[in-house]
Amino acid sequence: MTDREQYTPGPAGGAQIRKEGEKWTLILVRELRHSPEKVWQALTDPAHLREWAPFDADGSLGTAGATVKLTTVGAPMPHVTETTVSRADPPRALEYNWGGFDMRWELEAIAGGTRVTLWTNIGRRFIAMGAAGWHICFDVLDRLLAGQPIGRLVGPEAMKFGG
Amino acid sequence: MRIKVTSVYVDDQDKALRFYTEVLGLAKKTDFSQGPFRWLTVASPEEPDGTELQLALNSNPAAKTYQQAIFQQGQPAAMFFTDDVKGDYERIKAGGAEFTMPPTSVTGSTIAMLNDTCGNLIQLTQLMRW
Repeated sequence: MTDREQYTPGPAGGAQIRKEGEKWTLILVRELRHSPEKVWQALTDPAHLREWAPFDADGSLGTAGATVKLTTVGAPMPHVTETTVSRADPPRALEYNWGGFDMRWELEAIAGGTRVTLWTNIGRRFIAMGAAGWHICFDVLDRLLAGQPIGRLVGPEAMKFGG
Repeated sequence: MRIKVTSVYVDDQDKALRFYTEVLGLAKKTDFSQGPFRWLTVASPEEPDGTELQLALNSNPAAKTYQQAIFQQGQPAAMFFTDDVKGDYERIKAGGAEFTMPPTSVTGSTIAMLNDTCGNLIQLTQLMRW
């Protein structure tokens, strides 16, 4: 069996939800066994994003002011949005807008790795679905950075792990 | 191959879902999301497995431009058929919708036009019996 076939999602945790008015924000915290520099590259470089993220980018997200097209992967119809990176402070803070959702990433060096925090808007009904999807993405990211990539698991591939 | 889904662009999917279900009387069919993408469809309760109408977010600038242009020309973004256009007109109007055209006889049919509050005109059509 390949590593991909053997994959099962790790224990869930580190998810919070915040509501301001009608706007819901999902906050995900994950500790990765890799340096902030490596994590930063995985969050910004299109070749890395293709291995774990729920979207493809046609350019680097690592420079403030850069305009990048993000293509949602696995959606039931093509979905492309244009984003402008509003903040890029390597390897600590990254902000951009994904199709109307504000995405804020913070990276904090900890012993043996990086604590990653993601703030992302989400529709109220899709909180559980979104938290589960990102959880799997982070599992895949962790393996990618460990040099054992198992390939992106998004959309229908990720739904297979639904309980 | 079948014609199973068609779409209208809307400026707010939650608002559209409320209008299309509570005011127009359609039923939610499918609703899931992936990141900022949300696949949302409604169907007629008279034909629950019939053609679905996708309420697609007009976040794409080209979609927004197209939507605004046909709205300004008075063109409907979608057309629904009914057996009782006057009855539907009264029911939907009572639900709070604004009609830009009350039931009006035209060649072969009676039509009415309403504003869906999400950027579109919707036409109701009752075919004439010959």
